[in-house]
Amino acid sequence: MISPVDIIRAGNPQERNTDIAAAARGASLRELLAAADELEAFRHASDSLYERVRACAMLYALHRFHIPMCAEIEQTGRIPFHGFEHVLHRRFEEAISAFLQHQAERGPSAALSSALAGAYHRLTFQTLADQVRRSVRSSVGNRWMFRVGHPADHPLRVRPELLARADDRSPFTVLCEKTPVRMDLTHSGWSDIFLLAMDYPEGARVINVSVDLAVRGRDSSPRPPVEAYFRVIDEPVIRLASVDLGASARVADLAEVFDFARDYLGLLKAALIASGIIPPGLEGSDARLSDVLRCVVGPGLGIELVSCVNGIPKGSRLAVSTTLLAALIAVCMRATGQIRALDGPLAEADRRMVASRAILGEWLAGSGGGWQDSGGLWPGIKLIEGQQAGPQDPEFGISRGRLLPSHRLIGRDEVSDASREALERSLVLVHGGMAQNVGPILEMVTEKYLLRCAAEWEARLDAGRLLDRILDLLRSGDVRGLGQATTQNYVGPIQTIIPWAANHYTETLIRRVGEAFGDDFWGFWMLGGMSGGGMGFMFAPEAKTRALDELQAIMGCAKRSMEASLPFAMDPVVYEFAINDRGSAADRLEGPQALMPADYYLMAIPDMVSSPPAAVSSGRRADAHAFGLACRTHAELSEAPRAIFERMLPPLPVTQGRADDLAEVLAANGFDEEEHEQIRSDMRRGRIGLAQNRLPVNSDIRDVEPGDVTALTDATDDDRAVGMAALAAGEVAVVTLAAGVGSRWTQGAGVVKALHPFARMAGEYRCFLDVHLAKSRRVARTSGTPVPHIVTTSNLTEAPIREYLDRSHVEESVIVSPGRSIGLRLIPMVHDLRFLWEEQPQQILDERAQRVRESLHAALIGWARSMGEGSDYTDNAPAQCIHPVGHWYEVPNMLKNGLLADLLDRYPRLNTLMLHNIDTLGADLAPEAIGLHRRLGGALTFEVIPRWLEDRGGGLARVNGFPRLVEGLAMPREEQEFDLSYYNSMTTWIDIPALLRLFGLNRDDLRRPERVNAAVRAAAARVPTYITIKDVKRRWGYAQEDVFPVAQFEKLWSDLSGLPDVQPRYIAVPRLRGQQLKDQAQLDGWLRDGSAAYVETLGDW
Amino acid sequence: MRIARAVITAAGEGQRHLPLQTLVDGNGETRSLLSLLVGSALEAGVEEVCVVIAPGDQEAYGRALGEAVSRVVFVVQSHPNGYGDAVLRTASVVGGEPFLHLIGDHVFISTGQRTCVEQVIETAVAHECSVSAVVATRESMLPRFGAIGGRRVPGSSRLFEVEHVREKPTPTEAEQMLVVPGLRAGHYLCFSGVHVLTPSVMETLARHAAALGDGERLELSPALDELARRERYLAMEMDGLRYAVDARFGLMTAQLALALSGPDRADVLAEICTLLAERELGRFARESDACSEAGAEPIR
Repeated sequence: MISPVDIIRAGNPQERNTDIAAAARGASLRELLAAADELEAFRHASDSLYERVRACAMLYALHRFHIPMCAEIEQTGRIPFHGFEHVLHRRFEEAISAFLQHQAERGPSAALSSALAGAYHRLTFQTLADQVRRSVRSSVGNRWMFRVGHPADHPLRVRPELLARADDRSPFTVLCEKTPVRMDLTHSGWSDIFLLAMDYPEGARVINVSVDLAVRGRDSSPRPPVEAYFRVIDEPVIRLASVDLGASARVADLAEVFDFARDYLGLLKAALIASGIIPPGLEGSDARLSDVLRCVVGPGLGIELVSCVNGIPKGSRLAVSTTLLAALIAVCMRATGQIRALDGPLAEADRRMVASRAILGEWLAGSGGGWQDSGGLWPGIKLIEGQQAGPQDPEFGISRGRLLPSHRLIGRDEVSDASREALERSLVLVHGGMAQNVGPILEMVTEKYLLRCAAEWEARLDAGRLLDRILDLLRSGDVRGLGQATTQNYVGPIQTIIPWAANHYTETLIRRVGEAFGDDFWGFWMLGGMSGGGMGFMFAPEAKTRALDELQAIMGCAKRSMEASLPFAMDPVVYEFAINDRGSAADRLEGPQALMPADYYLMAIPDMVSSPPAAVSSGRRADAHAFGLACRTHAELSEAPRAIFERMLPPLPVTQGRADDLAEVLAANGFDEEEHEQIRSDMRRGRIGLAQNRLPVNSDIRDVEPGDVTALTDATDDDRAVGMAALAAGEVAVVTLAAGVGSRWTQGAGVVKALHPFARMAGEYRCFLDVHLAKSRRVARTSGTPVPHIVTTSNLTEAPIREYLDRSHVEESVIVSPGRSIGLRLIPMVHDLRFLWEEQPQQILDERAQRVRESLHAALIGWARSMGEGSDYTDNAPAQCIHPVGHWYEVPNMLKNGLLADLLDRYPRLNTLMLHNIDTLGADLAPEAIGLHRRLGGALTFEVIPRWLEDRGGGLARVNGFPRLVEGLAMPREEQEFDLSYYNSMTTWIDIPALLRLFGLNRDDLRRPERVNAAVRAAAARVPTYITIKDVKRRWGYAQEDVFPVAQFEKLWSDLSGLPDVQPRYIAVPRLRGQQLKDQAQLDGWLRDGSAAYVETLGDW
Repeated sequence: MRIARAVITAAGEGQRHLPLQTLVDGNGETRSLLSLLVGSALEAGVEEVCVVIAPGDQEAYGRALGEAVSRVVFVVQSHPNGYGDAVLRTASVVGGEPFLHLIGDHVFISTGQRTCVEQVIETAVAHECSVSAVVATRESMLPRFGAIGGRRVPGSSRLFEVEHVREKPTPTEAEQMLVVPGLRAGHYLCFSGVHVLTPSVMETLARHAAALGDGERLELSPALDELARRERYLAMEMDGLRYAVDARFGLMTAQLALALSGPDRADVLAEICTLLAERELGRFARESDACSEAGAEPIR
């Protein structure tokens, strides 16, 4: 094997950029471990940060993709809990030492490698993030802010022009910054990620255009979408308002300025801090805000800061939030003289300073934008390029590149007016309506860059060449060619580096637009980090008007057909746009013009009216008075008084409201009011809750013994023959659990996980259900006998799944099992939230992000108190208020809804079911597994897999001497989970007659509902009820989403293993067969480690 | 280089009364601030002093100068058009020669053998270039002063080659332009208000004045910034301190500093000690009485 250290240290770039996978291919376990040892020693010895980071990334790759795949490695093994604790507390070096020590003492194992891979991966990103953070703090012009620790140290003063006014009743001057947003023609393979751009500045290149926007059908003409307003007020407080989010706050306490997640005004607070008005050095000091304001503004005076993005929806991929942060910082810097010009455009040095502060602000607020995202500060079209750090730069010796790139404005001599107009005449910008988290994608990109994965590295180089071509096409005004180039970028480099940047919705749009416009469709243009939100479509100029109309219809139609399976946050919109040639610029609004945006008064005036008269300052009264006068004289404000009146006294809704809709849904789905009352009452009284989910603390929990588990690899030829015969005889069916809405998969977006088209397989996007049906199809073909395939559903998933099956799988022998149980979510108890966040092990986040999370937790605890702990959760769409009640109910539902009885009538020889989770993609009707299950002779045979670090949530254990599956919720102590070698895959082989015996039923009883109901109720009473906290999204405004923790109850299938009469058996299966996909961030590893290819071999597509 | 004339600016808005304030100097003599400034210039060898005043102030200023008035020329700045405009109005008086410039609202107290003004003049003569006295100042004071950026003159602990001059810079600008190697973090070299300037400053000011727009004021710092690019321009950390009389308690602080720098230093210190003792011990005694009446221990 080529030494990975030699790769890192090679002088020749071609050797240095060798893919670690190529070096490791064919290597033995001994060679791989030797290479890992060499890298570990090297990374400690090297003084070069770049070498250390790359060595760390390679170590991650060896332990994630190569060592566990060696035939000779032990698959099971312990992961020392104290090492895991180090990982949780971000002490990655200590964690690695603990894991390596364990490896030295007990030998290597795939389980231990998973832990090492996790620790190395996090350490790599932590090191890179630290680089950026140090550069942000040490950036010249930012450092002073960290030195100011007392109001008397404060060196900023608000400019006298903003303090002057005719008399006490006149308004202060308002300063308004208007900033265009940026769209990128190409980001050269996400080369604008900070971590990447600072490590690889020569490859970091972006063409970025500043644009004004209008939402078609709503706004009259394009304008700079982002506005930030600053004015002095006659109260010693800071007033903050976000017009678009309808949020405002009167901040009188310094600590509140640093409390980012307390309300929707975190961005405005970050701007106050990053602009130096409230310097970060004051955080945690005992200074009073009024003292700071006295120093900066003057005695008795304060500041008002207002933001407005003119209704541009979130997720536009046009960097709206970074642009807004930059505009807010710019207006604050102008007001305090840090920018020389009080109004007009910014000078180049000012733009760079504001961009640097915006990076600081994003770091402070724990958010993350790209390195090009402040591009709207600059005018027109520009080429943004990374810069090597030189000896004079603060980044020198910390990172290879500078924090701030260079911005070269592309003048009219290079790209003519005609070319710019041609671009405007062809391009249609849209927001497709999808809301997705781009964070995991950015991490995948960085990882692949660090590893120099061969295909992805080539794609990166291609993307760089494409940028040059795009630049040439812009120069020559060849917009049609430009469309081809951006399409090529999307289908080529972008999807080679990250296949997940594309999705079924976008591909459908591209296909339908192609069908509708033929040759007049010139190309697709992906904006930002991934598709589905902001996107561009290019057309022949003569077709653009038609395209503006038809795109809206095409997107609307596609969205309607996919909204159950993909996370949409809003209806799609089409924008009108124009290239902005001014960049960010400010206006001084004086005298009668000194007003905030009209919608600001929708919040401010009702607030004033509801306040005691003495609490409204003369300045605010004067402002309201000035607005009143303006409403009489400005036609565009004529509707404002009516809107304010309606805000204060909203008209009664036409429908009777959400609560009644919810009542209908509950009634229609067999909601058990009595059971709900009992659970709510028990939860409020503390009888059930997160702490009560646990087994008694004196339970004896230890790892299983050798005879407790049989390896699938120990199945004999006879077992296989038995299995083949059973399949041929029609004795086996599949039960796919599909009642869930993928809380983790889409962070509570409420889509049907079974229908989520998560990956391309055999050339097409496939959803989870497609994969499972393809496997049954293959088994049916090879065995010559149809395989009954049951899909269990809940009220949330039944209709979409039926509709999908009717549309896409008409010919299959699929049977839908309707849900018969439903629960109503509850506002969680504060003690349960505290237990979850404070007593259970949590991954500590990066310093700033952790502070934001803690602030958010405090806000959510306040929310739970204000809503009433333990009360019904009804403040959301009905589908988000109800929940499936756990997969234990799904087999009993088949008894209750008569499906099993029908099935046995239709397939009289049926006696075995394979039940599996929707996300266990590798589970199939393997004949050897069927044979083994039958040989072992249990009513239920559970498949387990060797535990890896990421497999949290219980496992197979001996509890008080008996092997059973223990849920993570029930573990009395977290560390006990780390003593367990096996994790539950949830795949279960069920012997139908034994199952019926377990419920005290026989086949004839299945036609007697009262007996079935009584049997299910009796069985349910034997398994525990867990209280869990789930995240649920609440959507509002323009694609805004809040996530709330809600309580719900569950009964879980694997608890049947704890019943003494079940006599469960356990089979250890390979990870490829038993692993589950719970999080979209797992997808890339799943694709790269061969799991996807394995699943593809299991199905007939 | 010979420095025969001095310019004192005293026409600033809201500052016209400051040069008339009376102080007891180090020798126990009661004098006006203006008299102190003019005296320091004359002692350093200057022959004639030009004081820039606002209209109507000449009589009061003349009285405040006493006998020294014979060596003073008053120039009236009819409108408050800026600090640079005040200096430019003296161009005909200084007549194309290098000149000393003092601001009219500061007291300068030397901690060395030579007065502050003498130190600056000597340095200018020795190096034959413009020299401004500077003091390392914490960044929180930047809104009050002009500041320079530059580098230390090799072999000298007190002299700096000036590269940039900014008037009342923000800390952001100061960090980008005005960092001087060797100074403590967060400290910048700010003007003390004592300069020796070459006549090219007047040419630059005249040019800047011609380019001014309506309502704009002519400032001195941009001219000094240009001076640094055109010819050698040094900054000097003087052995001494400056006291701004216009600051809060500025006059009192200046008076204390003057008193502590003279032969009556011990008497002044004794007065301060007595004042503190009477005041603080008296308060302590009152608190003790109150506590013993209430049966409680005084909090210390």
